[in-house]
Amino acid sequence: MRSFTTGRLGAAGGFAFDNYVRVLRDPQILPMLQNSLIYAAGSAILGTSIGAMLAWIVARTNTPGKTLVELMPLYPILMPPVMKNIAWVLLLSPKSGILNNMLQQSLGIDHPVFNAFSLPAMIWVFGLTCVPLGYLFLLPVFLSFDPSLEESAYIAGSRPVRTLLQITFPLAVPAFLSAFVLNFLRALRSFETPVLQGSPGGINVFVSKVYDSMSVEYNPGLATAYSGVLIILSVLALIAYVRSTRFSERYATITGKGYRVKMIDIGGWKYVTFLAVFAYFLVGIAIPFIVLIVTSLIPYYDYDTFMKFPSNINFSNYHRVLHHPSFVSGLYNSLALSVVIAAVTVFAGIIMAFTIYRTKVYGSKVFEFIGTIPLAFPPLVLSLGLIIAVIGTPLYNTLWALGLGLFVAYFPYALRNASGAIVNIHKELDEAAWVHGARWRHVFFKVTLPLLKPTVAGALFYIFVEAIRNIDVAVLLVAPGMEYGPVTLFEYFRVGQWAEAAAGGVIYLIILILAVTLAKFVFKIKLSL
Amino acid sequence: MRKSIVLILALALTLAFGGSAFAAAAGGDDTYNKATAALYEKAKQEGAVVAYTVWDVEHIVAILDAFSKRFPGIKTSYWQGRNPEIVTRVVTEFQAGKDTVDVILSDNAPPVIRAAGAIQPYETVQKNFLVIHDPTMPIISLQIQALAYNTKKLKPADLPKNWEDIANPKYKGNVALDDPMRAGPLSSQLAGLKEMWKDDARFTRFVKGLKALGVPVHKSTSAMFRLVVSGEYSIAEPALLHDTMEEKHEKGSPIDIVKSAPPVVFPRYAGIYAKAAHPNAGKLLAEWLISPEGQATLDKVGREASRKGFESKTSIENAYGKGTKPIPVNDKGFMEDPKKWLDTNVKPLWEG
Repeated sequence: MRSFTTGRLGAAGGFAFDNYVRVLRDPQILPMLQNSLIYAAGSAILGTSIGAMLAWIVARTNTPGKTLVELMPLYPILMPPVMKNIAWVLLLSPKSGILNNMLQQSLGIDHPVFNAFSLPAMIWVFGLTCVPLGYLFLLPVFLSFDPSLEESAYIAGSRPVRTLLQITFPLAVPAFLSAFVLNFLRALRSFETPVLQGSPGGINVFVSKVYDSMSVEYNPGLATAYSGVLIILSVLALIAYVRSTRFSERYATITGKGYRVKMIDIGGWKYVTFLAVFAYFLVGIAIPFIVLIVTSLIPYYDYDTFMKFPSNINFSNYHRVLHHPSFVSGLYNSLALSVVIAAVTVFAGIIMAFTIYRTKVYGSKVFEFIGTIPLAFPPLVLSLGLIIAVIGTPLYNTLWALGLGLFVAYFPYALRNASGAIVNIHKELDEAAWVHGARWRHVFFKVTLPLLKPTVAGALFYIFVEAIRNIDVAVLLVAPGMEYGPVTLFEYFRVGQWAEAAAGGVIYLIILILAVTLAKFVFKIKLSL
Repeated sequence: MRKSIVLILALALTLAFGGSAFAAAAGGDDTYNKATAALYEKAKQEGAVVAYTVWDVEHIVAILDAFSKRFPGIKTSYWQGRNPEIVTRVVTEFQAGKDTVDVILSDNAPPVIRAAGAIQPYETVQKNFLVIHDPTMPIISLQIQALAYNTKKLKPADLPKNWEDIANPKYKGNVALDDPMRAGPLSSQLAGLKEMWKDDARFTRFVKGLKALGVPVHKSTSAMFRLVVSGEYSIAEPALLHDTMEEKHEKGSPIDIVKSAPPVVFPRYAGIYAKAAHPNAGKLLAEWLISPEGQATLDKVGREASRKGFESKTSIENAYGKGTKPIPVNDKGFMEDPKKWLDTNVKPLWEG
């Protein structure tokens, strides 16, 4: 409704279409949309494809070093996108970047080879951010794959690569498209990469219009009208998804037949796949992490100072972060809240997906769209909507309001994740239960939910990791006096103190890496069947 | 009886020493002492003060802790966000009739909130001590813009002499330029220069000169400053003085300011919320922040003082030398509706 009111925040305005007229008449829209679409589609294709490939390698191949190969794709998920941005800016900047300077000094190349402030570099960095979703969405599909489908192809004389391209990957299309749509929408509304890498290269994307409407004009109506363009793009992407998966039975990989997931012997290629996983581990976390660690331990970043490490080691940034007034209490609050939000959101997403794909509730397909729409709103617009929704209720300025905000922000991930996975479960399993007189809750709890176990684990992990670092949606809903972890840890990123931010990020990453490793080995938590 | 006498004596001594310390801290200004004593009495009854601020959490915690020590009995709490978030939250709460916040400590946000009617006017009793004064909102600190450069990249002889020199084509590719079409430091600088010059032709020449450099613009001043420190660019148009001084003196970064380009000063306000539940506590905090003790607390966390003659590492006198005349940003039109001002004064030159 806000988009139909004119004027700035606080100014009275009647019902009008002025904001939409302004959006339609804006001459900058088309070039900005073009940049946005290239950037979003490029990042989503790159990230989802790498994620899918990694999932296939981990789930289906006899790649050596199984434990290492399973863990390596998980760690990059823990690194917040803005940390990746900063690390890659330090690596790829034309004049001051580490890689360009190294090439210049070792090979005598006098012109910069890499440019952090270009569209390909933006796609590269955000593409890396998109990999985890692709990996977590596709992993359960490959882990529950009925090998008889591939065996039939082999018997018919198909070669392994052809089988992979014509049988294996096409069956993973729903999960792939689900991850692609999410990554596409995330890239469309993402702001850190366009601000840190786009603007300095003269590449302006559409979402900056939304932010300018809020930060220069203080006009949420106009910001919402600009967000309308993102909503249209979201709906188009979802229509494409729904149309391409409308014959959902075609994609069912989990059927009533008993089978064991079979590892494919890929011969000598297994060393190549190991190197591929290792290469992703290097670019996804190891190299950026090392850059950030060094940056956090030197007084300031420039190439000469960076290369003098460790002779100029300095712990002042760590001292500052660890003495931050709300470091411990803030972290505790956000840890507790993120665990609850992850559990509630994932469960709600599964119920919604089950209702859409497994019941005949009238109009349930609409929720496929409604449930994903929050992702089309840039965080500040979404949180304004949330604050307006709760401000007149007793929830305002409580932890409940913050929890509700995080739920709305992450529900699209849970829904898309569950939708992609449910499509892969053949209806015959449900139907068998229905035939035997089971009620819907029996079908849901006894049949569907157990089969979704790997999906649930992946989504829980992903939403927990995302929620624990959320600040953009949460910021308006945090009550005065409430210490909230992301405000502490990511404040340095927001105010541009990169060395302190790197120190905070390193501490945050070490905590999460230890938690994941402990969960994996001590509690034997697996993101697989 | 003896107990009572001891108690009265103790109370008298406390008041005497406390009072003298109070007066000393406030620089012996009677008006301040009287005003804060009256405000403190009322604030104690209110019992709390809630600040919304753009400042770092570390800074606001240190500031509120010092305030609580000076004025016990007033519970302090804060919420921190960026300027658009502060405006969004305060105005939305104002429209919904909420009284969560008492005082807004920020730069760009308070004038916009005031324009929406959500600020109650309050004139500080210490107005004569301030570098810039606003009769409706106490100016507790300043955002001071400096022309900063990377000392490894530019020799003193090659430096621009003033702000206008940056538009010289020889600096093309070396200047990191803030986006003049957003409500950021460069647009404030343009508002200040336009008002000071009162010369449209000169203003037009400057903006068109910047445009002619053909360099991409940055939407994050802090990230832009990092790129100047790293050597990606040589000149920051503009940088913030406190960032520059901190980098130079505390980290030893190769960064310095061009002293011949006068600093541009933008107010940081303490705006009292129109529906504040604890308005006296809010006013007391604002007055204390302007006092020498409050300014020393701000200086300790690296924030610039707004009090004339206050000596600190980020004061104009210390960074630029005595007698430096800053360029104030006072244009009410710009501060309350930056979009309208930019559309009128900059857009035709920048995008035309």
